[in-house]
This record gives sequence, C-alpha cells and structure tokens, in this order.
Amino acid sequence: MISRKLWLWGGVALALGLACGWGLAGPVAVFGQNSNLPGAVKSPEPSLSPAPFSNAKLKVFAQALALIEEQYAEPKTTKDLVYGAIQGAVGTLDPHSSFMTPEEFRELQIETKGKFSGIGIEITLKDRVLTVVSPIEGTPAYQAGIKAGDQIVKINGVSTKHITLMEAVKKIRGAKGSKVTLTINREGFPHPKDFVITREIIPIHSVKARILKDGIGYIRITNFQDQTDHDLQAYIKKMRKRLVPLKGLILDLRNDPGGLLEQAVRVSDEFLKSGLIVYTEGRSRSQNMRFYARTGQEGKVATVPMVVLINEGSASASEIVAGALKDQKRAVIIGTKSFGKGSVQTIIPMEDGSALRLTTALYFTPSGVTINDKGIHPDIVVQEKKPPANETLQKFRDELLTRHMRREGLTDKAWNQPITQAELDRDPQLKTAVELLRHWPPKNLAQLLATPE
Amino acid sequence: MISAGPGWGRSARRLAVVFLALGLAAYFLLPAWAAPASNYDSLRLYTEALFEITHKYVWPKKEDALIYGSLRGMMNSLDPDSSFLTAKEYQNYLHGQKDVPAEAGLVLIVKDNLLTVASVIDGGSGFRAGLKPGDHILKINGHMVRNLTTQEAIRRFQGAPGTTLKLQVLRNNEVKPLDLTVTLEPLGVSTVTTRYLDHGVAYIRIRYFNNQTPQELATILGNIKRKQPPVKGIILDLRNNARGTMEEAVRSTSLLLGNKKILMAKGRSPKTEESFSGKDRDLIFKTMPPLVVLVDHGTARAAEIMAGALRDDARATLLGAKTLGLCGLTKTFPLEDGSALVMTVAQCYTPKGDKIQGKGLEPQVLGVTPKAGKTSAKSPRKEITPEQDPWVQQAVELLSAKKSKQVAQKAPASQK
Repeated sequence: MISRKLWLWGGVALALGLACGWGLAGPVAVFGQNSNLPGAVKSPEPSLSPAPFSNAKLKVFAQALALIEEQYAEPKTTKDLVYGAIQGAVGTLDPHSSFMTPEEFRELQIETKGKFSGIGIEITLKDRVLTVVSPIEGTPAYQAGIKAGDQIVKINGVSTKHITLMEAVKKIRGAKGSKVTLTINREGFPHPKDFVITREIIPIHSVKARILKDGIGYIRITNFQDQTDHDLQAYIKKMRKRLVPLKGLILDLRNDPGGLLEQAVRVSDEFLKSGLIVYTEGRSRSQNMRFYARTGQEGKVATVPMVVLINEGSASASEIVAGALKDQKRAVIIGTKSFGKGSVQTIIPMEDGSALRLTTALYFTPSGVTINDKGIHPDIVVQEKKPPANETLQKFRDELLTRHMRREGLTDKAWNQPITQAELDRDPQLKTAVELLRHWPPKNLAQLLATPE
Repeated sequence: MISAGPGWGRSARRLAVVFLALGLAAYFLLPAWAAPASNYDSLRLYTEALFEITHKYVWPKKEDALIYGSLRGMMNSLDPDSSFLTAKEYQNYLHGQKDVPAEAGLVLIVKDNLLTVASVIDGGSGFRAGLKPGDHILKINGHMVRNLTTQEAIRRFQGAPGTTLKLQVLRNNEVKPLDLTVTLEPLGVSTVTTRYLDHGVAYIRIRYFNNQTPQELATILGNIKRKQPPVKGIILDLRNNARGTMEEAVRSTSLLLGNKKILMAKGRSPKTEESFSGKDRDLIFKTMPPLVVLVDHGTARAAEIMAGALRDDARATLLGAKTLGLCGLTKTFPLEDGSALVMTVAQCYTPKGDKIQGKGLEPQVLGVTPKAGKTSAKSPRKEITPEQDPWVQQAVELLSAKKSKQVAQKAPASQK
C-alpha cells in the first residue's frame, strides 16, 4: 500500500558542518500522520484514472526517447532517462517540489525519524581531510574515545582521500550491532590507530537548552522531527524544576529550516491555551486543514513570558510556530525577517522506491497571512553580529567550526550551565531577548505586539 | 521515422492494458527495447509522476509545460552538451550562432542541474567581474536559474554591448552566494598570445579556440622557430580554456604533430569510429623543443583534444590539474513539433585510446597548490603575468632542468 505523507520542507540550511547522521545540518521533514490533531489528512488511495495528456506532446516525448536510445553516444537505461525526465518535469514546478531517487528518499526518511543506526559522530571535511567535529555524548563513538578534531584516514581499511561527505556518512553508518573500523590520526599519536566501534541506534536531538541565572530558560529547536515535541517537553519539565519561578522562556528558531507540520503544531500547542495555530489550503479539498491548540492540553508554561528568536534561516515549520505565537500575541518575536517558505509538501512514494515531493498546499497564520515569500516580521528587529569586514566568510565559518569542535558553542554546553555575559555579548539578538524578559513586562508591550497596519 | 519494432509479442497484452488505461497510446510508437519489462516499469513510473503532478500540485500546471520540462530534464541528465530546444530556441540556435555582438566571456555548462562556469576567458568581462571556473550561477537578474539548457544559458549571456547582468553566484567554500555584475562586451580579437621568459623558454597562451586560432598559432610558432638563440623549451598554456571545436583543435595540433593521429571519435556502434589526423605540411618544427602543456579543471573540448594528442605523442608533459572531461561531438535532431534535440553522438578518445569525456586527462606533474591569497572573493581579478604564475614557474623549472623529456617518459601516458 502506498501511503501519502505530509511534510514541510525548509528552504535553507545555514548550519555549519554536515553531521554524520545529520545531527547538525539539513532541512528536515517528517511524517505527518496524526490522528490526535484536528484536521489530519486522510491519505487518498492511489488511483489510476485516465491521464489527460494530449497525445501530440507525448508523441514528441516518445520520439525523443527513441532517438536517445538509438543514437546517444553510449547506451542509457530507460530508467535513467525517465528519472531525468521526472526531474525535468518537477523542475518546472516551485523550488520546494523535487524528485528523489530511492537512495535519496531513504536518506530523508532516516533524517526525519529522529534516529539512525551508526556510531554517533558529526564529521566534516576540514581542509579536505575527513575530520570529526564532535562525538555525540553517550554514543559508541564517544565511549570508544573518538575526539573532536580526530582525522579519519581510513574507514574499514579504505583510504578516505577524495571521499565526499555523503560517501563517508554512508560508510560509517550501518546496521545496529555491526562493526566499523576507523583509522584515526590524532595529534600525539605516533602513527594512526584503529578504533573498532559497534553501531547502535543513535537518537538525533532536535532540541537543545541552556538556562540563565535569573530564572530564564533558553530552548533551541534545530529542526522539527518525530521526537521534537517529546524533547521539548522533557526540557521544560527539567527547567521548571531547576528554575523556580520560571520567569521567562526564549525559544530560538534561528537557522531552523523546518520539518514536520504536525510537530510545528505540537510545539505551538505547548505554549498556547487555545485558538487557531495554522491552516492550509490546497487545490484538492483533502489539503484544506485547520489546526487548533487543544484546550486543556497546553504545557505548564502557557503563561510564562516568552520571546521567539528568528532570522532569515528560520523557515517553514519554524515560521508556523513564530507566526502562531505572534498572531496570538503570545510571544515577542526578535531577530530578523524569516525565510518566507509557506508551502506544504506531500511526499508521494513511487512504486520503485523513489518519491515525489510535491507542493500541495499553502499555509496561513491564524490572522490569514500567507508566509510564502513574505516571511514573519519580528516585533523587534535586531541584526546578527556580522563578521568583521576584513574577514572572509570562509574564515568566519572556520572559526565557528573550531568553536564548535572545542564545544564552546552556545548549545554545546550542558543545559544546566548558565549562559555567561560573554556568551550574551557574542549574540546581540539573544541579549535583547534576555533584557526584555528581565524587565518584563516592557512598558511598550501592547505596542510591540500590535499588528501593524 | 519511428515504428513499432518486432518483439512486442510476449508482454504486449499486459502493457496494452496499462498504457491504454493511462491514455498513452503514443508509447506504441516506440521501438522494442532489449529488456522490455523494466523499461515499461520505468515508463509507467513516468506517467504516474505526471499524473500526480497534474492532480495534486498546488497550482494547476499545463501538461505541455511538464512534458517540455521532462525533455529538458532528460537531455540535461545525459551530459552537459546535450540539450532540448523548444521550437523558438531551436530557431535562435540555428540563426544565432554566428557573430555574437557581445558576451560575458564565459563557457557555461549545465552540470547536475546547476548552471556552472566551465571556464572564464582571460580579460573578458566575466573574468574582470571576478567569476571563476566552477562557480554556480543561481540567479540572473533576480530570476532563479532552473531547468535551463546549456544552449539557452549561453544565449542569455550574449547580447548587445553594454547589457548588464546581475548574477548571484555560489562558490565552493563560500558560505553565502556572491552578487556579481557582468557587462556584455565584444571579446578581443586575438586568441593566442606569446611571451619570452627567462632560461630561453617561450610561453604561449591560448585563451580560447575560434576559427582564427590555428592561423594565429602558426604565426607565433613560426616566430618562435626563427628566434635566435633558439628557444630551449615551450610552455603551452591551455588552462581555463573550454571553448572550441574539434576541427579547430585538429588544425592547431597539426602544427605541432604533422600527420600524426590527433583524436578518435567513437559513437554507439563500432561503425561510427573515426580517427582524425593532422597534415604533414602544417608541421612547423622538424625537431620540437621540449614542451610543457599547462592544464586545469577549466581545460575542456578543443583544449583537451590538443593536450591529449600532445601527451600521447610523448612530445609534451602535462602539468597542472585534471582536466574537465568534456569532449563530445553533438548532432542536432529536429522533432515533430519543431523543437529539437542537441545530442552527443560520439565522444573523443586520445590517440592511444583514453576516453576524455567524463574522465578528463590526468596531468603527469601536479601543479603546486598556490597559497591561499588574502584577496576577497568579490574583488575584481587582475591578470597576473606568467612570471608571477606558480605553475608557469614550475614549468620553466622543468624545462630549464631539461627534465621534461625524462618526466614524460617516466610518467605513465595514461593514468589508471
């Protein structure tokens, strides 16, 4: 049986390095079947009714296909040609529609389930050398003693020279219980050393947190996948125990490319008592849905003062959350205008394992505003800290990476370690949010939350 | 004309059901394939995809546009030289090839669905704007580049002198896309320049190939031959050179190789195999001075043919980086509705039989990696002199140490 799945897809991924197993980067989308929420999609059965194509144009297509089969410089399989043709057809649609080969579709499913089978390291190509960005705590790689900055010179005895990140990820990942041998070059090693590591199921955490001394909690969502709402609830619970009283919450959605529509709804629901969160409109009626906050189901933080941080890297699911909290005047939005990706994609699996990702609906914030191309405008505009003018972006990027490898990034530290003044000074948007919550309510709150025009 | 071939018998009934159900009688015009079942599955996949798009996509989509898009996608998936042209584009292609008034001096290809700069002609406006080989062009005048064919892309970068194009460019290792502006202008007349370096080395630069190039090169080689004292070596710089036809390559190479074989072209069937040689009367040097040919990732087409032939003849040492591997011979096929396919029908092989297309030529001596400069990515580029160029200096050392011949003999003529 072919099932239809509802996804939201972020338009941008500004994250640093690619993670082995997609911990860090990557626009993410997740299965959206959910019977608990109102307006859930009913998957229509695939039907093969007559297609309305004019034979004239199809004849041209057939003629071209035959010409390639006969005359192209080397033999091509029909399958390859058809894949190319479907790519081309999808290429005439909006940029969020795409065609995925079976391999790409499998990758996406791994990405979005919130877990995969591997050893738990983030990797990158640093100066063309395959390098460990960080081992994820508690994973087999961490226990085996893999360290940030380690160079992986061989995987299972095969040199990693000229390897692409994608190939490396694929080689390191594998079935649970199987083993992979990494040959590691580390400063202080007289010669490269082999590490044999047994693969396990590695959870991908999409929620990270920190606290501030004055009763303010900081939560960052990196993408919206299957486990996001659970992780969010867990952190809120821990924070409410640690910070008494919990005076304010900062929800950081910067550079969050989005993910599952259902998860955007669930995350919004956590902060809202009632009311509309988002609605969608498509060409077919099955795509028209309204999602409401469930009264009585809200988390215990529905009245805690709140700031949401966004930037041009916040897209899709992030924009739903920011839009709902803004329209319901639940939170002050700080940062820069969001990406502006207000469309819903449905994943349509094809019978050979490939899949179409089609834009099937647009979504609208409770006040009826489409996010498409417009984005969410912050209530308080604060620019990000720009790299010094004489510094190249590459250098800036390298520095960020180095900081992450030394576990000096904001969310690299333990959640219960208070954010320092130095960290706030590095991040003007966060600093503004903290100032606002420290002096809550601000005198101009009503004005801040007023809908412009 | 296409006709239904034999061999339809076995599975025809089942397929008839499927395709008639889909209203796709057109497929019966296709000839028989070697492995019918999987091919039909593939075609069914295509019709299923079209069906889903026409029914579910949020904005209604015309089927003609989808099928034209499919044709583009299918041709683009073959190689960067193969394209689908709509009837209008085909007319432009037929009439617009000669006498380009102004251009950006870029060689563009579509690779993995991205509009990619294969090479940047020295001194052209694209060069001065700071474009580099390998750059991906994401937007032209604010419009996202999608589903463009190579032919159409080339046309966008041609026009009246003074026309400006605002480009958004994605460069490897840059986090954010760059905004660059190029102004179309006529390319300079000469394609070949020369310069005499220290240690009695002559340096020849071919910026790109056109039909004047063989004559220009002949004049320059003639001057070098008469030079007193005689030159001790020649550097032929074919880096960042991806424009030129097979014929221009053969005529140019003939000046150095005479009647030797220059390339082989092979298509699908053995019958299409053809080899091309130069003419003895073209040969300029009776005894060739040692020759180093500079190549890099921007070396393609005519330049690759020339580099491959000189390498195989053991006349030259290739120095630099692996070449692009783009060397197909295309043919145009008009389709029923006035549109057309430009399709690679044969590929180039070096005289010794190494395939160039998709593989590229490996240099025998790797160019030293220049130290990363402090120049900002956006700063306009200045032409550097050969004296400042690390690979040219490397070539001079190779030639002045008279190692060139030994290197050429030691290194395998073909790698892997």
